[in-house]
Amino acid sequence: MKKRTSILGGAAAIAATFVVFVIPFIFIILMAFKDRQQSALRDFSWPTGFHFWENVVEVVKTRNWMMITAFINSSIITVVSVTLLVIFAAMVGYVLARRKTRWNGLIEFLILAGLMVPPAVVPTIWLLQGLKLFGTLHGMILIEVAYNLPFSIILYRAFVATIPRDLDEAAIIDGARPLDVFFRVVLPLLWPVTVTNIVVQSVGIFNDFTNPLYYLPGNANATVQLTLYNFQSQFSTAYNLLFTNILLITIPPLLVFMFFNRQIVAGMTAGAVKG
Amino acid sequence: MSASTMAGSPNQTETRAIKRTPYPGWFFTPAAIIYSVLFLAPTFASLYFSLTRWTLFDSEFIGLENFAQFLREPFLIKGLINTVIYAAVTSGLKVVVGLLLAVMLTSQIVGRGYLRSVVFFPVLVSTVGVGITFTVLMHPTQGMINETLALFGIAGPGWLTDPNLALYSVALVDVWKGVGLATVIYIAGLVAIPQDYYEAARIDGATPWQNFWYVTLPLCRPATSTVITLSFIGGLRTFDLIWAMSKGGPGFASDTIASVIYKQYQAGFYGLSTAGNVVLFILIALLVVPLTMFLNRKQGHE
Amino acid sequence: MAGLELKQLRKSYGKVEVIKGVDLSIEHGEFVVFVGPSGCGKSTLLRMIAGLEDITGGELVIGDRVVNAVEPRDRGIAMVFQSYALYPHMTVYDNVGFGLKLARTPKDVRDQKIREAARILQMEHLLDRKPSQLSGGQRQRVAIGRAIVRQPEVFLFDEPLSNLDAALRVDMRMEISKLHNDLDATMIYVTHDQVEAMTLADKIVVLDGGVVQQVGSPIDLYKHPANLFVAGFIGSPKMNFVEVNADKVSGDTVNVSGPDVVGVPVALPAGKVRPGDKLTLGVRPHDLVVAPSGAIVGRVGLVERLGNETIVNLELPSGASWLAVLDGDQALKRGESLALDVDPARALLFDANGLAVAAA
Repeated sequence: MKKRTSILGGAAAIAATFVVFVIPFIFIILMAFKDRQQSALRDFSWPTGFHFWENVVEVVKTRNWMMITAFINSSIITVVSVTLLVIFAAMVGYVLARRKTRWNGLIEFLILAGLMVPPAVVPTIWLLQGLKLFGTLHGMILIEVAYNLPFSIILYRAFVATIPRDLDEAAIIDGARPLDVFFRVVLPLLWPVTVTNIVVQSVGIFNDFTNPLYYLPGNANATVQLTLYNFQSQFSTAYNLLFTNILLITIPPLLVFMFFNRQIVAGMTAGAVKG
Repeated sequence: MSASTMAGSPNQTETRAIKRTPYPGWFFTPAAIIYSVLFLAPTFASLYFSLTRWTLFDSEFIGLENFAQFLREPFLIKGLINTVIYAAVTSGLKVVVGLLLAVMLTSQIVGRGYLRSVVFFPVLVSTVGVGITFTVLMHPTQGMINETLALFGIAGPGWLTDPNLALYSVALVDVWKGVGLATVIYIAGLVAIPQDYYEAARIDGATPWQNFWYVTLPLCRPATSTVITLSFIGGLRTFDLIWAMSKGGPGFASDTIASVIYKQYQAGFYGLSTAGNVVLFILIALLVVPLTMFLNRKQGHE
Repeated sequence: MAGLELKQLRKSYGKVEVIKGVDLSIEHGEFVVFVGPSGCGKSTLLRMIAGLEDITGGELVIGDRVVNAVEPRDRGIAMVFQSYALYPHMTVYDNVGFGLKLARTPKDVRDQKIREAARILQMEHLLDRKPSQLSGGQRQRVAIGRAIVRQPEVFLFDEPLSNLDAALRVDMRMEISKLHNDLDATMIYVTHDQVEAMTLADKIVVLDGGVVQQVGSPIDLYKHPANLFVAGFIGSPKMNFVEVNADKVSGDTVNVSGPDVVGVPVALPAGKVRPGDKLTLGVRPHDLVVAPSGAIVGRVGLVERLGNETIVNLELPSGASWLAVLDGDQALKRGESLALDVDPARALLFDANGLAVAAA
């Protein structure tokens, strides 16, 4: 009797989870396969035809191939930001973990503040304008780096502690200068954290909507999220195209998820549970 | 003493030594420059500019007038209150639902690996995409949610059109998207609980509910603290979803401080917008710091 | 040739002085062992020589250069760490050749040196493996190989055998000894294990509390310890001690007595000790023999009969307990009364300050 209720209960739970979490995605996919007329119904009906490819082509061609520009922009921002984040955060995490100075307390406070304090947007815009970085990809990259440094630094600092100091010393005796010790001995050993960092930050920066909204106005430098947002009016009566757009920008995170699921989970929990 | 390359007096040795560390301070420089210039400096500047009427070309010092406005104008006060409600609701739901999901996903049910992925995937998806999707699903007449409810004879509400409901609808979507992260953190916490405790409880004759209340819940404290803190801060700062779904509407019924900041910025009231930033900052500091202390202090007593 | 000189070397961490003025001379080709209890400063001293710790005072001379401010890589030293400190992400080949790569040595020269070191240590078949695929002993050899390849003037070993099991330790000890002979190199070796010190060293430096207690050959330290500390540290089982007073001095013999012993003769030149002096008597367990009218009398406690020798725990009248290692198999029973004697030439006396009353 007990077993049956638990199997029933289990089945109900699985069904409920399925309905809640999977159905919205099925909806997106169905809508992306429909033509304009059928998509206006916005229901769960099966597509009458296979319109996915033509929808994709139309979305990509919209407003002068803006989706392509957007994908390129988002990719550049993501790749460059993440690269800089990895190197700079690792350098900071490394020295913070290895060298105890009286500044460490202050530095750690500033880093924690970065996780809590909301960025002051208008002064930042004013600053970026002054530096001629407003509305440029360079500016956006530096912003993403600045806002995401705290998270990466905390991850790296925690992990460097697990690399024995002996290795640094052996390298020093072998003739390594500080940069050699860092790049040839420590950084390679930080690879697991680097992967977690790359995965988590890439998804986060690729999906960032707020910061490009403030700091990257205009069409030339629009990101993928901004473009989707702007296309809402463009596709106001073409729900099939709107959802094709959504599906397209869901593909990169999906790929990341399929390949790196384990790393993401490990990285998030390692940092999180320890506080 | 013949050919010596360096003199060996104590002071000289020490000063040379300090310069020779393999962990040089200049490793901080690139990160420090970017972080100070693009984050710390504007944050400090905001403290000044929030006290001005600002048009980016000139600023006129007006003291605390901006903040007075925040506490006077109904739409600004509404934003403030909404922000706190939103943060409380989303973090509360994420804690409860996250824990329940985690308990389910660490039990022996079929397909729990697949389910864990399914629950976590929304965390990785574009917020704007999620917002648009649910806006469509939540359409009062054409949206699937209400159409499905109609099948059961229930008249679905105006999720995003009813001013009293809009904020909570967005909050629900926020929970849908974010609970996966809470679940994953809880799973890690649950898995770390030694089986000994459950076995001792079983010997004592505990029911499943008692097991949960007296063993699982207390031993998940660290995970709970983390989830509450992360969700609460995230909730206070929320913008993307609100903007994608309701733009703070209808009217300003679902405005949060972050959407207020943006709206004031769009309208050209830069001083007021920056004051919004400072208000948010103070709000976070006032709420989160005691919250963290409360959560961690309780742990110390265990 | 390349020897070392430590002149009044000091080290402080803030206000705490951990190395208090060490003077030491090491000749080229010597095998010197720093030995002492935990916290005595032996590792710190080694690291100061390596350049991993700064020198607060005094001078360190390697060869003919004062190297206080010289970088480790330029000091002509190489170090083998207790944990081996092999780079986990590199193969054995790359581990051994890392230093050469950093110095931009041409590939063929590098290859030749790596293979030469591998040949000496018989690890040519391991070159493509990663450290995680090696046993403890093999890792030790790679660590040594990495040191050899630097062709240093001085090899530094920081408790290299501590992480190995007992059998392996004996094997590796012999390998290191053989290496010393083959390479004719100066080696400084740190250990807390006095057996290692005794078997490997040409010269032992005993340290306690940052101060050199004695420097000498193993046998020197064994037979003529300079103070109570060295006497109790060197030699296993530990030397027995008892408080005594000098009774009678006649010629080159001093008789001492105390609460536990009566009239033990100790061979000492005249004039070193006066009657009535408060002293400590030290006798090694191996130097005690059964003697029916022996000066040292007590009750037998624990008896361990090993066949070739018998280890006896003797409870003395005052409650103190001595250990004796007796030749052959002695069928002694617990509770029995036992009298022992010691050869006057082997007994040692220490004055009220703990210093040995010099025999010579």
